[in-house]
Amino acid sequence: MKISAITVFQIDLPLSEPYYLSGGRLKFELLDSTFVRIDTDEGLTGWGEACPWGHTYLPAHGPGVRAGIETLAPVLIGTDPLALDALNRLMDVTLPGHPYVKSAIDMACWDILGQKAGLPLWRLLGGDTATAVAVNSSISTGTPDEMISLIQKASAKGYRTHSAKIGGTDIAQDIERIEAITAALPADEHVTFDVNRAWLPATAIQVLNSVSARDWVEQPCQTLGECAHVASRVAQPIMLDECMHDFSDHLQAWKIAACEGVKVKPNRLGGLTKAKQVRDFGVSIGWQMHIEDLGGSALADTAAIHLAASTPDANRLASWLCHYHLSVDPVPGQGARNIDGFATPPSTPGLGVIPDEALLGAPIATYR
Amino acid sequence: MTIKALTLYEIQLTSHQPYHMSDGKTADSLPSLILKIDTDDGLTGWGELCPLPHYLESYPGGVLPALEDMAPVLIGADPVGPEALMSKLNMHLLGHVYVKSIIDIALWDITAKAANLPLYRLLGGLQQEEMPLYHSITCVAPEEMAAIARESYKSGIRQFQVKLGADQNWEADVARMRLVREAVGPGPLVYGDWNNGSTTLDAIRTARMISDMDVMLEQPCPTIEECASVKTSTGLPMKLDEAAYDMASLMQGYQAGCMDAVAIKLSKFGGISACRQARDFCAYIGSKMCIEDTWGSDVTTTAALHLGATTRARNLLNVCDLSGYVSPRLDEAGPTRKDGKIKIPHKPGIGITPNPDILGQPIASF
Repeated sequence: MKISAITVFQIDLPLSEPYYLSGGRLKFELLDSTFVRIDTDEGLTGWGEACPWGHTYLPAHGPGVRAGIETLAPVLIGTDPLALDALNRLMDVTLPGHPYVKSAIDMACWDILGQKAGLPLWRLLGGDTATAVAVNSSISTGTPDEMISLIQKASAKGYRTHSAKIGGTDIAQDIERIEAITAALPADEHVTFDVNRAWLPATAIQVLNSVSARDWVEQPCQTLGECAHVASRVAQPIMLDECMHDFSDHLQAWKIAACEGVKVKPNRLGGLTKAKQVRDFGVSIGWQMHIEDLGGSALADTAAIHLAASTPDANRLASWLCHYHLSVDPVPGQGARNIDGFATPPSTPGLGVIPDEALLGAPIATYR
Repeated sequence: MTIKALTLYEIQLTSHQPYHMSDGKTADSLPSLILKIDTDDGLTGWGELCPLPHYLESYPGGVLPALEDMAPVLIGADPVGPEALMSKLNMHLLGHVYVKSIIDIALWDITAKAANLPLYRLLGGLQQEEMPLYHSITCVAPEEMAAIARESYKSGIRQFQVKLGADQNWEADVARMRLVREAVGPGPLVYGDWNNGSTTLDAIRTARMISDMDVMLEQPCPTIEECASVKTSTGLPMKLDEAAYDMASLMQGYQAGCMDAVAIKLSKFGGISACRQARDFCAYIGSKMCIEDTWGSDVTTTAALHLGATTRARNLLNVCDLSGYVSPRLDEAGPTRKDGKIKIPHKPGIGITPNPDILGQPIASF
């Protein structure tokens, strides 16, 4: 089988409500998503999506996705979309780095592989059932009362795991947030305190050693080295996210005992192929993982839910769904949706989301 | 003073001689991007970026969208004192350091012109006016490489980088190192560069066969751990390049004890500001530095020379006259090699004024 055409669509995804990370440092209102359709000489068509979270969150941005695809496309036309490892090596040689560009292409090729095999992706990724994956809420930062109120609203929608964004400049306020949220949380609900790199190591140690909570703490500081230092000095389990860019970062994190879990995000790592490699490594060393994408519509969310559903229960934590925060739905009703706090991957062959092109607008580029 | 306009040009640089590295990496004809920053005071700064394909996380197509993203932060900002503005850009668009390099170089050009001083005066002052060049010998047949080395020796070059691994034949790599070492006689520096294309096994086999000679190794494998393992197993000094690209990786290279020398390249670190910080750290830990860029013409070549000229001689391994490897020249009056060395210009700023005929029409302006 050969790739015969790559078609690129750009879609604005407005958020239903502005989203603030750690102490209001970063405000997000609109995501810039790229949909990719890959056609083959055998008539199968695959879909992928790459949607960085703005341009201040990770070294990734929407226009860069399209620029990178323009560079990769001529090399990819004529190659076998089923040979995913070879395809990824070719992309890495052609365009070193820039994993956020490659994830949409890799995802579309997994979709083609699934359709060719007549199997859903959760099966090709190693799963035995279409496991319903617990869905994670995302609680924008605010005063303790505001955050507790958001958590209660999320609980009412069926969420049992919450990712609460903390990390301001005021140590006392962060301690207050953590203590108040922990005290208010029902016994059957869990919270991860996501700092999004906001603390310096000393701040992290001061805050975390001042609270009674023993919940997960995510990405306390900027670098892997800083987080490892904090991990050695606090009682809470540490989850890493933004500082993990490739497989060697995960190897290094294990080597220096920097964490007990990671977030596995296909767009950050360069696609499902590389995310699966990290997931498998995480399973083998006993990490717990939130498996979700960086952003995007139900298309990108569904790809991540396939990977999450195929992950052993013991290693799988809840998955956040970006499409739930959007005011538009470019793939109406399709894919893994939040039903009472759980999302189940489709069991149709491939990714199981087939966008209606009439809803996507005119393509911005087609490469043949 | 504020930034009034950004103008981006693209020129095609053709190598005088084909240049081959491991894994089929070549640089025969490459696009180089030239950025002009105009200010309301009438000062103009120039930056340049020429990514080598398949080499670093840098490609020409990534420049325009990233520049477009950062343009609103740049337009109207004060260009004098680049580090303040660069830290704003670093918060605005994470990563993409190669795009930041082209901006940072132009900001330093403006800053030095505003001070009416050659750039080296702002980077710590002149340590040497004349700097040693190295010759990078393309990976072809061993005898041919020895012939290139002999020619280059006659022109005054005393440092030879021997590209290895293009044919995935470790025994040919042994011959390349032996023949070049013999061709230039005792004294000159000879180092074998795999551009991370080898495995620890092949690199160790190669290096053990030449460990009786006075040679250095460069970046045999992708990671610092692998390079450290090769060094430990062979006892030969090691230069890092691709794996050393920011402060954290420099610290790791230092910690792993495999950074006797290191390549400080403008677009790898994110421009003069980032390289200056790297330079100071490497000087402190005693690593010898090759100060250059990946590829390019007069603007980036000369910008790197300013950083080299302000580095203590004991810490400066060499610099590179990239503009001498390619045509056309952006500025015929730019620095040129003589007797294996190159001199820093003394005009205000970087001291390069690109020829408008060579630049042609801009590809974008903001």
